[in-house]
Amino acid sequence: MSEIDMAVIKPEMMKSYIWLQTSDGSIQQVEQEIAMFCPLICQEIITKGMGSSKNSAISLPQQVTPSTLSLILDYCRFHQVPGRSNKERKSHDEKFVRMGTNRLCELVSAADSLQLRPLVDLISRALARKIEGRTPEEIREIFHLPDDLTEEEKLEPLKNITDDPRIRLLNRLYAKKRKELKERERLKNVEIEEERVDERSVDDLLTFINGNDGDSKAVKTPKNKKKNRKKKDQQKNPSLKEDSGPEKKELNGHDTCDQSSDGNIIGETSNLTYEEDGTFSPKIDFDDGDMDDGIDPAIREKIDREVEDFARRINSDWAERMQDFLTSGRERTSTLSATNGNGYLRRHA
Amino acid sequence: MGDALGSDLISDLPQSIIESILVRLPIRDAVRTSILSSKWRYKWASITQLVFDEKCVDTCSDRDVVEKTVVKFITRFLFLHQGPIHKFQITISYLQSCPEIDQWILFLSRNDIKELVLELGEGEFLRIPSCLFKCKKLCHLELFRCELDPPPSFKGFLCLRSLNLHQVLISPEAIEALISNCPLLESLSLSYFDSLALSIRAPNLKYLYLEGEFRDICLEDTPQLVEISVAMYMTDDIAEHFEQSADCNFVKFLGGVPNLERLVGHIYFTKYLSIGNDPGCLPIMYKNLETIELNQVSFEDMKEILVVLSLITSSPNLKELQISGSSNIPSATDAPDLDFWEKCPSKCRLSQLRVVHLTDMCGVPHEMELIKFLLGSSPVLEIMTIIPCVYVVESQLKMLTELVKFRRASAKAEIVFIRE
Repeated sequence: MSEIDMAVIKPEMMKSYIWLQTSDGSIQQVEQEIAMFCPLICQEIITKGMGSSKNSAISLPQQVTPSTLSLILDYCRFHQVPGRSNKERKSHDEKFVRMGTNRLCELVSAADSLQLRPLVDLISRALARKIEGRTPEEIREIFHLPDDLTEEEKLEPLKNITDDPRIRLLNRLYAKKRKELKERERLKNVEIEEERVDERSVDDLLTFINGNDGDSKAVKTPKNKKKNRKKKDQQKNPSLKEDSGPEKKELNGHDTCDQSSDGNIIGETSNLTYEEDGTFSPKIDFDDGDMDDGIDPAIREKIDREVEDFARRINSDWAERMQDFLTSGRERTSTLSATNGNGYLRRHA
Repeated sequence: MGDALGSDLISDLPQSIIESILVRLPIRDAVRTSILSSKWRYKWASITQLVFDEKCVDTCSDRDVVEKTVVKFITRFLFLHQGPIHKFQITISYLQSCPEIDQWILFLSRNDIKELVLELGEGEFLRIPSCLFKCKKLCHLELFRCELDPPPSFKGFLCLRSLNLHQVLISPEAIEALISNCPLLESLSLSYFDSLALSIRAPNLKYLYLEGEFRDICLEDTPQLVEISVAMYMTDDIAEHFEQSADCNFVKFLGGVPNLERLVGHIYFTKYLSIGNDPGCLPIMYKNLETIELNQVSFEDMKEILVVLSLITSSPNLKELQISGSSNIPSATDAPDLDFWEKCPSKCRLSQLRVVHLTDMCGVPHEMELIKFLLGSSPVLEIMTIIPCVYVVESQLKMLTELVKFRRASAKAEIVFIRE
């Protein structure tokens, strides 16, 4: 009998089968021409001669489970028939990808491991359709993604292209916050050096103002940089309320140095938390005992303002000041008081 | 939200699959994936195919603002991008030539760019910076409305397979040199050049597409050409030049393309081919030519008809033929040289011709003779559709009457006469 006769009588006999082993260890028989549609399987058969018997079953990559293999073979079975029109193939593909996201992701991984590029492309397109035009929350839900970015990371302006006005506002506030932090840092640093020189000048100031009554010790305390320094200082020097207060406050100038009207709140930068819904709630960590140190709030406010002013001026004339402090002695003090502490002296003269 | 419903389905897939998904998204959506989760923060930044189109930023009524936004977006994107960039495409009509583009091209030249498409808006032509010529891995280049000036030291793009220049200002010597110095060039498309005289030497060229005013084209060394499509416009001075030319354009153009499988001509293409001395018997047979499409053929010009006939008779394996007449109202009712058709090789058999489409037929004698010839020489013809020209309503009946008289070599042939 010729081969063709054989095919007519027993068509199954003419088809050869290939043995495949999936990730769970189970082995199955698959028509060769369908399995060969997968480049990886094709390669194993041709170059390594595997798959012809149960013992030499081709072991597939671990991403290929029995269920995904069955789907992949369905895909191959349809497409390996040469006579189909493009329209038919497209229609089949559209129906083929109608499955849960879970299965799609498993399937794309398996298809990729078998190097079946057309199926990878098809599923990629389907997955892209699930992402396109959706909000981040929707996408996270579809793919079970953890929402583990910090709000700060989400708000980083460079990456934010969505243009939600709420987000834009938060970005602006964030940028402002950063600017203020930087200002604070800078002033802190300025202060450290300022201190060393100012110690002397403040000393001079004090002696000049109080006629050498002042407690020079008071000046030494503001070495520590803690937030509640204000409180500490005031506790130590209740007698120097109005006079020494301002100097210390001057050195504490960084606390009130920022330009905005909600001064105290923004100053406590690290205590702000941004909530998801766009509001922010300031939590001021700093000891409220401050309010009870005996200074009249109205005067306190005045002092705050003066100190702010002073600090600003100090920052701007810093280099000049340095020169002055280093070159002259007593004259320096009068220069200082005359040019810089005008308002100051007027009040306390 | 988050993990309540199950574990992450997608973030741990290999980058090749993630890229496959991200490149199928509009670029804006791809960038937005950066806020999905910590793993997704930078996945978008390694995609290798970047396509910037009209939708990549929000449009508004102020064109300047939109343009600035787009420029900022692309610049920031490139700055944040990591890894090679294989494809970079800009197709934005509201973006005009600007200095940032030079920087982008410089950046790309340092990142293994393989495919570059620049299609900006109407306006000042972009002057392509010289760093483009340092892109050694370039495979595909498409430029619209640019100025190209290759430096003298430029030795060609050694990997370039496809070149498409549309309304590009480049000197003829430069373009010839560019073509011949790209040894792997397979596909060439040149459109809207002004009066280009070109000699094409590209031993691997397979696809040629030309559109515009060409004074002279010579396919000097293109033995592998498989598909040619030409739309030739003509101005008065070109036409004059043609009259004086002695060369046979047919041979210059189609003399060296034995492997041709598909030929498409528009507007003055057949006229162009008809100019020059009569080649007599054509030197080559187009054994692979299966599709011929010739548009705007003037059936009042004998030479053009000869061109059409030579092509048909030199293509023994022709399967599909499409001819459209020029839609000019015929001036004369009787045509010269009708007896030429008697001398036509009657033993010519178009043994593979199955489909014929004729459009804009006016019913002039030469058209009818051609139809007669085709019907009589195609033993396997399945369908012939004829669409008459809209201006000649009266002659349609005459055409039909003649048609029915013609002998058909194919018993299966259907003639479909389509009237509006």
